[in-house]
Amino acid sequence: MSFRDEVQVGSKDPSGFGVHRLRFVYFGLIGLFIAQSGLTYTTGTEVPKESALLSEQARRGEALYREFNCTACHQFYGLGGYMGPDLTNVISTEGKGPVYAKAFILHGSGRMPALGVRDEQADDLVAFLEAVAATGTYPVRNMDLTAWGTYREMHTDEE
Amino acid sequence: MKSEWTPAKGFVVAGLVALLCGALFGVIGSWQHVIPGVVDAIPFVKSRPLHVSLVIAWIFLTAVGGVYHYLPKIVGAPLHSTRLAWLHLAIFIGTGMAIMASYFMGRFGGREYWEFPPVLGIPIAASWLLFIYNFFLTANKHKGPWPAYLWMWATGIVFFLITFAEANLYLFPHFTGNMVRELTVQWKAYGALTGSWNMLVYGTAMVVMERASGNTAIARSKTAFLLFGLGFTNLLFGWAHHIYPVPSALWIRVLAYAISMTEWIILARMIQQWRSTLEEGKQGQGSMTGRFLFASEIWVFLNLGLALLISVPAINLFTHGTHITVAHAMGSTIGINTTILFASVFFISGASITKNLRMGFWLFNGSLLLFWLCLVGAGMVKGYYTVLSDLHFQVIMERIRPFIVGFAISGVGLFVGLSMLVWDGIQALLNLPNSLEDLAAHHAIDTELPRSPASVNGRAVHQGSSTTARP
Repeated sequence: MSFRDEVQVGSKDPSGFGVHRLRFVYFGLIGLFIAQSGLTYTTGTEVPKESALLSEQARRGEALYREFNCTACHQFYGLGGYMGPDLTNVISTEGKGPVYAKAFILHGSGRMPALGVRDEQADDLVAFLEAVAATGTYPVRNMDLTAWGTYREMHTDEE
Repeated sequence: MKSEWTPAKGFVVAGLVALLCGALFGVIGSWQHVIPGVVDAIPFVKSRPLHVSLVIAWIFLTAVGGVYHYLPKIVGAPLHSTRLAWLHLAIFIGTGMAIMASYFMGRFGGREYWEFPPVLGIPIAASWLLFIYNFFLTANKHKGPWPAYLWMWATGIVFFLITFAEANLYLFPHFTGNMVRELTVQWKAYGALTGSWNMLVYGTAMVVMERASGNTAIARSKTAFLLFGLGFTNLLFGWAHHIYPVPSALWIRVLAYAISMTEWIILARMIQQWRSTLEEGKQGQGSMTGRFLFASEIWVFLNLGLALLISVPAINLFTHGTHITVAHAMGSTIGINTTILFASVFFISGASITKNLRMGFWLFNGSLLLFWLCLVGAGMVKGYYTVLSDLHFQVIMERIRPFIVGFAISGVGLFVGLSMLVWDGIQALLNLPNSLEDLAAHHAIDTELPRSPASVNGRAVHQGSSTTARP
């Protein structure tokens, strides 16, 4: 592919686009960005079930998650640090669950330090992890790929 | 010749110091992956944010310093207010110190990339408003249509503030009550945020190329504006390739996929022009600026190729959440942004090539290549076992250990190389003459650029991509 450069140095608009046309495209894109942002903040990010919304207790847990900077080591949906495991489904994975998660929070293990939180704060963190687990599944293991380079269920793991 | 402090010089020197400190914490953090408990006084939960914030500070400080330095020369008039620029620097450094102190004290905001308490975002935003005011009142003195780099800088400056504000929307219950929304909006902001700092850095690259070559046509060509438009579109709409697995609406991710794929145009153009790029690279070997600009071309190629591959959802399925993402992030911030900013630093300082700089350059690039390859290798192994096996996390981490050791060792080489470059960079800046007469005697920085004929190859504008620096 090649571009044709039409440069006339010294002319009023050497790019050849026209300043007004350039501004129209630029601000048009910004208008679309605002519309996209509005949709993303609302309908684009609704959760399918009530349990995925954070309760008061889960919100306290989320605040603790931030306070202890857990994201330095852990991930949700593969987003975060790399020292520890992804926690998206730590509550819903077979063999793990609330008791398992609470034990780690209270006592630590290996590289994970004990957070030094009270028992009810550990419950808040577990409530938060429960709400996260209710939002979906990660990692995605549905290998149903399409010719377009996508996978049919881009965020579910339904067998 | 006398050497005086200017806001631009202050920003760049502060940026170099931030880079060195950030790299040091990066080395500590990488070895904490290999030897748990090493440097116990600064645990990983602190070393990571110290590393990330300082490296981001390096990018912003040096890019902003470049804008303050070049803008008056471009518009042919002094900065609207030098005092405001000093105030901007003072607030930036003061806030930076407060952020470092908060990390050392274990006070976190706990957000990826902005891990400091959110109240410290207020002075950053306030100082940025001063920057916006100063930039536009100075840039408006430019006669005639703006070249592409002024558009890039203006876009980067305004969108930094927008995305910085957006990254703090989590403070409102509408966003925190729903983790899908919280994660989506968070990474929407970060995607555009890196796009905005890329606009500042790539605009600087274009200015340095223009001023080093004397060819004013490049930044005024149709190609430059087309590629700026492509980068801008990706900044606005390409962010969701970070969050394919997050269960937001499908249209969000499909739109990002489509937009991201437009950057094949940039890669195709680079391949088409590789011969002239090599030729110009040979010609640029006589200066550190030329060497770094050539190195940035290679890093753009590698990272853009990687970015395009991991933006395909079927491939992203395996690479997401693995060290390939880190390779991409570090390859972009170090390989592309840092090499361009070093080109700018050495152009501003006029440092001539020394043995120390030559060694630093090769150690930096060689170590970075090994560093990058180790991360890609670790990511491939981790992605394979995460998706296709039921192995426990710790078992997978054990399998990637050789790559992580290689990553940590090459990180030390990277730090040593950076130290050599930073040392000479600061030395040269501190000896930088200040008056225009002194500058002319010191090296050939032109205040009135020659008007060259319209022979444009458009090489300078490859860096319009936004995909090339995701967080």
